[in-house]
Amino acid sequence: MIGYIIRRILGLVIVIFLASLITFFLMHAIPGGPFDELKMPLPAEVKAQILKKYGLDKPVWEQYIRYIWRALHGDFGVPFQSPTETVTSLIARVWPVTLQIGAITIVLSFTIGILLGILSALRQNTWIDYLVTTIATLGTTVPNFVIAIWLMLIFSVTLRWLPTGGWGEPKHLVLPVLSYFLAPTAVIARFVKVNFLEELRKDYVRTARAKGLPERTVIFKHVFRNALVPIITLLGPMIPDLATGSVFIEVTFRVPGLGKFFYTSAFNRDYPMIVAMILLIAVLWGITYLVTDIIYAFIDPRITFT
Amino acid sequence: MSKKVLVSFLVLVMALSLSPAFSAVKNSAGKILPPDAAPLEYQVLRVMSQPATTLDWFISVYKRTNEANNYFGEPLVRLNKNFEIVPAAATRWTVSKDGLTWTFYLDKNIKWSDGTPLTAEDFVFSFQLAADPKHGWDFAWFYSPIKNWDKAVRGEVPPSAIGVKQGKDPYTLVITTEYPAPYLPMMMLYSTPLSKKAYEKYGPYYNNDPKTSVSCGPYILEEWTKDKQIVFRINKNYGGRVKPYLEKIIVTFGDPGTSAFKAYLAGEIDICGYSNSQIFTPADLEVIEKDPELSKQFHQGFGDFRTFYLGFDCYNPPFNDLRVRKAFAYAIDKEAIVNTIIKKQGIVAYGFLMPGFPGANPEGLKNIYTYNPELAKKLLAEAGYPDGKGFPVLDMWVRSDLASPTVVAAANAIGAMLKKNLGIDVKITVKETKTFMDALNAHKLQFYLVSYGMDYLDQSNMLGIWVSTGRHAWKNERFDKLVKEASALLDKKKRDEMFKEAEKILVEDVGGIFLWHQTPGALWKPYVKGKDLEPDKYGITALHWPGIEGVGTTIFSIYISKDVLKYRK
Repeated sequence: MIGYIIRRILGLVIVIFLASLITFFLMHAIPGGPFDELKMPLPAEVKAQILKKYGLDKPVWEQYIRYIWRALHGDFGVPFQSPTETVTSLIARVWPVTLQIGAITIVLSFTIGILLGILSALRQNTWIDYLVTTIATLGTTVPNFVIAIWLMLIFSVTLRWLPTGGWGEPKHLVLPVLSYFLAPTAVIARFVKVNFLEELRKDYVRTARAKGLPERTVIFKHVFRNALVPIITLLGPMIPDLATGSVFIEVTFRVPGLGKFFYTSAFNRDYPMIVAMILLIAVLWGITYLVTDIIYAFIDPRITFT
Repeated sequence: MSKKVLVSFLVLVMALSLSPAFSAVKNSAGKILPPDAAPLEYQVLRVMSQPATTLDWFISVYKRTNEANNYFGEPLVRLNKNFEIVPAAATRWTVSKDGLTWTFYLDKNIKWSDGTPLTAEDFVFSFQLAADPKHGWDFAWFYSPIKNWDKAVRGEVPPSAIGVKQGKDPYTLVITTEYPAPYLPMMMLYSTPLSKKAYEKYGPYYNNDPKTSVSCGPYILEEWTKDKQIVFRINKNYGGRVKPYLEKIIVTFGDPGTSAFKAYLAGEIDICGYSNSQIFTPADLEVIEKDPELSKQFHQGFGDFRTFYLGFDCYNPPFNDLRVRKAFAYAIDKEAIVNTIIKKQGIVAYGFLMPGFPGANPEGLKNIYTYNPELAKKLLAEAGYPDGKGFPVLDMWVRSDLASPTVVAAANAIGAMLKKNLGIDVKITVKETKTFMDALNAHKLQFYLVSYGMDYLDQSNMLGIWVSTGRHAWKNERFDKLVKEASALLDKKKRDEMFKEAEKILVEDVGGIFLWHQTPGALWKPYVKGKDLEPDKYGITALHWPGIEGVGTTIFSIYISKDVLKYRK
């Protein structure tokens, strides 16, 4: 197993290297640069000086080698959009904000999603089931930024219970989390319901019931555990997804998190930030898949590492 | 008798104590608040801006807040609501007979918050920094008329060689120009200096931290929480002319285009729509129009005298043929676009200069190209494209930061008109700003829709961007000559005539097709009051350019009235 993990980590290193290479060359290939003037062209000499200041006057391959060398020493450069700090300090400042919203969303959506899924499976074709199905359909079909606008109009503009945006107090968390959490909750609820129904129809459940076990024991001791194992498949990708934030939610609710930097970095041609963000995503996904696979092996004895 | 005197005295004392002179409340800067002003703790204005990296003009123009800036320093002059320049750091100024040397006499009462007096040295330092190519200032083209400016920017002479020097004493600043530039005082709106001492001690971002921030302007920095907010607090020791009423200005960071209107509706900010990034969408306008309260809070203005126009690559086919450009000018019904799409947010443009801008000549240009599809068709046929046959399919680029739903709708309408009247197929592409500007500045854009807003109130600014060294792929030697010569002319009458002729050439030669001038609206709450928010000399009530920026007088005339008690908790 240790050999397997080492192989996977080595694979991840190669992926990260390739991701940085492709991103670096692609972003330099896009027209427009970080210091283009919006009104009148800057004098060529000034532009040349700015490019020199940021090392952008060198050939792209040389810039890449320099970048990698510095990155290996922990220096990811200075973001063009916020030159008063480093890329690392910027990410360290804004990422916890996104992580906070992401963590609350994951906990809430799993708790409520599992609960709704079970309820809807146990009360199939009743009003509870229909309600859960409606919520699930809404959650999967309406994009979170539309939900965000609805929530803002209701709770901020009309009722004035909650602020339209901002950060720093618990009340600022409510609307972003609510906007975020509906989609994953819907997915989880549907998934749990299907799994539960499938498990309920299996032979071992029939046997358990035939043995005269109380329904509560059948559901919670046997069905529950088996039906929830596949949820790890859902949890895995959700973590990097929520941990990197959403552009729409963060911009709409003025959340000073990481998500909006995906947008602003691309639009400002903020090369150091773009590469850093891509690397961050690559690492997060790589680690998440690795951990998910390991957990699988622990849970399901049929899976072995080769 | 003595009793009578005593009673009279008491009555007098009571009367005086009730009169405004005695009961008036002074703010922290010692300014008496108007009688209808709310208590001091309510004298806070809340606005929204995109996040910023600096507040200083000479550090970066584009990384500052939207308009809520220029509060830390005194520019040489300010602009009032009637678009007149008024003294600020300079109490007066004179110009030499040849029009090349300007002398600004600085106000000796103005001091930095660290106690150092504001002197010519701070201005000289700030300008030299901006001219230094090593600083890589993002607005380096702006001060081109200043002597040796362009050479310094190109690195041919040291920054110390520019024509910004101390005069006979530390309170005299002398600016020399390459050629007479009568608009120089107007340009000096943008001269808010850095503190040389603070810059040298703490570096370029000394104003980002209350501990190191130094101000000689009406406000000082109280708080700057990255990506959250900036709080400006009144400068108690401000020695300048525009003592403000407001105790604080709170700038919340966010994307004003996405969030400001909703935050305004929720009562979280007091002013909305004061900058280009806060233009209301058609849906917002509908909400405003339908709500009687909001309609009263909505005020249409001039904005930054912005003109939307179609541009061409006039150096290459098919637009190097004047007949083709003329055909386009005749084929577009601008009145229809404004009446049905732009509505309140603009007026029809006949030239590049908006009515109200110095030297604007809408009447003189109105009849050069009127909507005439038949003539358009004929001209296109003469150019070798009968009914649009053989004409390439056009890709009209629209710059993304300007591509509001209204602008995109107008672009589509233009495309439909060109198809219907000329048989030309037009594809509309919203191009991301950087890509767009890269192509425009390199003169590689074939056909596009964009806008330009003024930098200072003079024809030399707006028409200057059309000279052939600028961003447009259009060249007319007579136009170039007129604009260059008129810019340097002191004789106002002759100057205006030359600019008028230049603008006429620009329209006739179809350097661009001028579609509409933007008249953006602003919302402010009923409790936001101030002389600059009352009608101007034209009778127009608006948040005039430069809005709440510290280079205008408006922000310093604003106070919060007692009505606020009904709105704020």
